[in-house]
Amino acid sequence: MISESKFYKILRYVVLIAACVFVIIPVMPLVFMAFKTGVEYTTTSVLTPPENWFNMYNFKYAIRVGNLGKALLNTTIILVISLTIQTIFTTMVSYVLHRFDFAGKKLVHILFTLTMFIPVVTTQTVVFQIIYRMGLVNKMLSVILLYSGVNIIGIYIMLNQLNSIPKDLDESALIDGASYLRIYWGIILPLLKPACTTLVIINGIGYYNDFYIPNLYLRKDVQTFTVALYKFFGNTATPFEIVAAAIFLGIIPIMIAFIFLQKYIYYGLAGAIKS
Amino acid sequence: MVRTKGTRILIFSFLVIPVIHLLVFSYIPIVSNVFLSFTDYNGVTTPNWVGIRNYKRLFTDPQYIKLFKNCMWYMIVAIPQLIFAFVLAIFVNGKFRGINFFKGVLIVPYLLNGVIVSTIFIIFFNNSGTFNSLLRFSGLGGLAQQWLHNLRLVNPAIASISIWRYYGLNFIMFFSALQAIPTELFEAASIDGSTKWQEIRYISIPSILHILFINVLLSISGSIQVFEIPYIMLNGSNGTVTPVIQIQQSAFSENRVGFAAALSILVFIIVVIAVSIQKVFDKRWTLYD
Repeated sequence: MISESKFYKILRYVVLIAACVFVIIPVMPLVFMAFKTGVEYTTTSVLTPPENWFNMYNFKYAIRVGNLGKALLNTTIILVISLTIQTIFTTMVSYVLHRFDFAGKKLVHILFTLTMFIPVVTTQTVVFQIIYRMGLVNKMLSVILLYSGVNIIGIYIMLNQLNSIPKDLDESALIDGASYLRIYWGIILPLLKPACTTLVIINGIGYYNDFYIPNLYLRKDVQTFTVALYKFFGNTATPFEIVAAAIFLGIIPIMIAFIFLQKYIYYGLAGAIKS
Repeated sequence: MVRTKGTRILIFSFLVIPVIHLLVFSYIPIVSNVFLSFTDYNGVTTPNWVGIRNYKRLFTDPQYIKLFKNCMWYMIVAIPQLIFAFVLAIFVNGKFRGINFFKGVLIVPYLLNGVIVSTIFIIFFNNSGTFNSLLRFSGLGGLAQQWLHNLRLVNPAIASISIWRYYGLNFIMFFSALQAIPTELFEAASIDGSTKWQEIRYISIPSILHILFINVLLSISGSIQVFEIPYIMLNGSNGTVTPVIQIQQSAFSENRVGFAAALSILVFIIVVIAVSIQKVFDKRWTLYD
């Protein structure tokens, strides 16, 4: 890199700080609101900070009324099961596509690739009918089932990693008498761990944030966290400072995940898009 | 090469469930949608063939033409969104104090879900909300108004939320493309005595032009699929219905599955075109692999 002029250095900070202000300004009133009392909410401006930053009343109320604890548990169950199934299946498909030649290999590859042309929103008219006939509407299993599919981004991430696992490793294990299943389970799967982590993080964030699918399939008492937050909107009787508190709670898990996984998220998102 | 029966069984058993899932939840639905789009299917009784009636309504009824007009707003805001992301990526690319802090804050909006973003912007656009307060604070109180209830302004207002929500994704793409530029290029330029501006103008920008192009097409295919913000904030009221909201309403509230299928196919075709162009140019324009 060439040395940057002083002007450029200053300009950089001016632009980046302005961008941070742009990010933070809309969020700030929500954070303020979550700590305000009902009276404060109606009497103060949205830009005024709360009087008492330790006012937990709204949070307690939101958790109780919105059943947020149960909703978070549901989301956790859905995420754990579907991400596990999806990741295992993705490694299996990728292993077979990378290490073997067989009739129909091209077709399988094309089938997975072309799914990127089929947005989820354009198939739900029919998928709903299928899920309905399976008797899964309003059951967590519907969302788990839809989330468990193998997608092409996952396959690309795995194929990339498989390129760096030498085939000699498989061959020598084979000579030692190991079966392909053993090679997959004992050699390939452990070495695919970094790719699996990336996949779990990207899809985990996507599924945690997803609204479309759970809103469509979980319409009654079983709710995911996102849908539970949404239900606050339907109930106009709920004071808005309570809604703000609920939403604030919704931001926390994603912030925790982000602080610990920032590196992966950057690397993963960039990698996912590139492929 | 496949040598034994055992390997064939392994290949089959590793692929069978994911492929069936793919067929049942992607391919069969999209193919059935093509068929259903020419029928009056209501989700219960046997569908009757109605020819191109559903498509005709979509192209002639002003109520449905408006769906696509609404999408235009989301495409328009993609322009400032991409410029913003591009500028930030240029500035973040480099070594300076606080880079990780900025990288962290800038990506936050992209990680928040639709319900959170919607709440944030309900507060933002409310009558006594953040935006009006800021306008009044800076002496522009005359411009303050009910952004979400002004039928002429509601669509551009909620479309502009996309800038805040999605620029982070564009930013990451630009940034990682900039990081991928071989450093020798900059070193060579440096030896020739180039300035920072020349470096940006003649190396950085041309090198990530293809990424810009991918982002434009990504924005087009995203605009046609807008759902969450208008649905959560306004439930599609005040003329903010988008094609995907309409699909949902027609198929699941009005039992007009055939019509919803036709609209789905239309959205599908637009996405296919956008993604295909992107793939073709992606291959041609990639400078570094």
